[in-house]
Amino acid sequence: MDVISGLMQGFAVALTPGNLMWCFVGCFLGTVIGILPGLGPAATIAMLLPLTFKMPATSAVIMLAGIYYGAKYGGSTTSILLNVPGESASVVTCLDGYQMARKGRAGAALGIAAIASFIAGTVGVVGLMLIAPPLAKFGLQFSSPEYFALMVMGLAMVVLLAGASMIKALLAMMVGLWIAGIGTDLFTAESRFTFGNSEMLDGIDFVVVAIGIFALGEVIGNMERREEGQLLPVPKGFRNLFPNWEELKACRFAFINGSIVGFLIGVLPGAGSTIASFLSYGLEKAVSKHPEKFGTGVPEGVAAPEGANNSETGGAMVPLLTLGIPGSGTTAILLAAFILWGLKPGPLMIQDNPQLFWGLVASMYIGNVVLLVLNLPMVPLFAQILKLPVHVLYPVIFGISIVGVYSVSGSLFDTAMLAVFGLTGYLMRKLDYPSAPLILGLVLGDSMERALRQSLMMSQGNLSILWSRPISAIMLAIAVLILLLPLMRSVDAWRLKAIEENG
Amino acid sequence: MLHNKAVIAVAAVFSIVSVSALAQYKPSKPVEFVTHTGPGGGGDVLARFIANAIEKENIAPIRMQVVNKTGGGGLTAMAYLAEKKGDDHTIAIFTGLWFTNPLMRKEAKFAMKDLTPIVRLVTEPALVAVKADSPTKTLKDFIDAAKQKPGEMKQSGGSIGSRDWLVRQVLMKNTGANWAYISFPGGGERIAAVLGGHVNMMVIEPQEAGEHIRAGNMRVIAQVAEKRLQAYANVPTIKEAGFDVINVPQVRGIVAPPGIPADAIKYWEDLFAKLIETPTWKKYLADNQFESAYLRSAEMGKFGDSYSEITRNILTEGGVKVAR
Repeated sequence: MDVISGLMQGFAVALTPGNLMWCFVGCFLGTVIGILPGLGPAATIAMLLPLTFKMPATSAVIMLAGIYYGAKYGGSTTSILLNVPGESASVVTCLDGYQMARKGRAGAALGIAAIASFIAGTVGVVGLMLIAPPLAKFGLQFSSPEYFALMVMGLAMVVLLAGASMIKALLAMMVGLWIAGIGTDLFTAESRFTFGNSEMLDGIDFVVVAIGIFALGEVIGNMERREEGQLLPVPKGFRNLFPNWEELKACRFAFINGSIVGFLIGVLPGAGSTIASFLSYGLEKAVSKHPEKFGTGVPEGVAAPEGANNSETGGAMVPLLTLGIPGSGTTAILLAAFILWGLKPGPLMIQDNPQLFWGLVASMYIGNVVLLVLNLPMVPLFAQILKLPVHVLYPVIFGISIVGVYSVSGSLFDTAMLAVFGLTGYLMRKLDYPSAPLILGLVLGDSMERALRQSLMMSQGNLSILWSRPISAIMLAIAVLILLLPLMRSVDAWRLKAIEENG
Repeated sequence: MLHNKAVIAVAAVFSIVSVSALAQYKPSKPVEFVTHTGPGGGGDVLARFIANAIEKENIAPIRMQVVNKTGGGGLTAMAYLAEKKGDDHTIAIFTGLWFTNPLMRKEAKFAMKDLTPIVRLVTEPALVAVKADSPTKTLKDFIDAAKQKPGEMKQSGGSIGSRDWLVRQVLMKNTGANWAYISFPGGGERIAAVLGGHVNMMVIEPQEAGEHIRAGNMRVIAQVAEKRLQAYANVPTIKEAGFDVINVPQVRGIVAPPGIPADAIKYWEDLFAKLIETPTWKKYLADNQFESAYLRSAEMGKFGDSYSEITRNILTEGGVKVAR
């Protein structure tokens, strides 16, 4: 068995005291920067890169990968406690995580996020270990038409994210799509909605919109309602700070769903963890027995996106290690790092450097355990943050948000945009517009437009390219099904009503 | 060539004498090293590499702090630099984008001529690559196919105005052929499009292509370079393949804010002259298959003017509205 002997060899590499230490350092740093909003794993790895030149390549890969997947563990913390998404992929975690915190289940939400991350992170590594090469080949069959269909599937999720009014949800989604359209058109180099500002040529950063609408909008809204003096409930007793048996049981399917969806999306170089987390949340809600409770603080609404976010890391390593194709900003930096260490990332890397590949795989198993051990004891501690009185807590959220946004780009313009989106978020709350569809439109809009136009350039304007390819046809069919879902539910409701009336 | 260098060196010596009589510039506090790409982007990686190499080789008395001024495809970084007029503790790394983007954007407030050229460091050759099992064996095959079926052959690449796009434009103009250019924002997606057989060809950096070629997934049909790269000695350059077009290099170098003292320019020119002689730098060039293309400030300025002119022509001929 190649895999077993490879893995044994890998553990022999990863369990040397030096590598074990670097694994821990990476996981620790990753958790910290994951908790801080704004500063992401990509920036951190780039800044630490020079320090790794003197290290053996394997130790360096182990540490940097630790930062990468560690950051995803940490990202959920501020989403759950403060409604401030720590990374773009943890926006979805805000939806139910923050509501759980408001109901006094902050500890449980944090615990579930950590457990989901652990399970899915481990599944992601298993996938990377067992099926990387064939899966990478499969990923290559995806091109623009398939990505377009994937995005359509994602966008169809809007019917699942809508609150009371479908029209309001669709309007919010349209605004999100519009914001995604701001900036330079990739295909014609034309500027769109920049109003003559060179700051807007790159479009509006997703983090600015997400933090503005979620965190600031929430705080402003709460200030108006004069919640002062009324602390969020933090239950006493150690046991109440962890998820209970019912909550864990409710997450059974979410753990599996998150693991698989995240890994598969991760393998595709053009998708990304934000889409993975949205899709798995949508899937969880679609198959749930009580979809109406999503958004009010259900544990599976935390477990699914957090799981997807973490198994995506294992998936993203597949094209990186087997083909030398980076799918995201962070993997692009890892690729640059491999080159600086004198390795040659590409289709032959695993064959040429088996000890590096297996060492990394083994270290990711160890890293996931380290992260669980590192994160679970912190849960009760973090949950105490909510004991702060609001006149301390709200300014802290404001401060964290502003620093977080500024640290991404170092531009005051973005800070001003944060204020704009904070007010937008407040107005949306006040007028009862759901914010998730806006974020969904924003995440998907850019890649969806791009994929559509790329497809049409490939087919010379013939629309049939979108459904004549089998993979994209299947995904488009699923999207139609998702769109029809609420309709089927209401038809079902009518039917039941009719039966009752007749009977 | 050698003679030329000697003349330049002599001229440089004279200019040192005349300037150093006035004042001897030396940075006295950490220097800001600006790049327009975010952490991990091409410019950022090079900037951090240079900052480290200077420290490691101990050729400057101070540290260099890499500052990422992202946004607007380099315009934000250019504006940042232009507004630091006279600041002799700031330098920046530029790429070809710094020439092309101000031409295309009416939002641009500054162009390269508003900044102080310091040195040109490297030019980056490129390869024209196809999937290994593609029927296209030579660049001529590709062009012929494109002529036969206009618009049906496809190339994956970066945005409009990027080097791969410029190469396509000069080739299409020279041959009258016409093929589709499909923009992908990420380098990985461009490669995936070729390897998956969704497009027929791409212009790729040698270092990016190396492993795909060694693994037998990709094949090189021509190179975008003045003379053949060592590693691809049996692949013709575009000119050798029979297409007499201008070579469009990707360039990288250093600029500074406008209005800095002459002895500061001199200091930086000399510092980079020292850097490019170090083994660290030479290894970096070899690893990445870059070509050393060191030019001092004055020639760098002239090079910039002609480069802008060439790209302006390619852009207008390619139907892109030129803003200035």
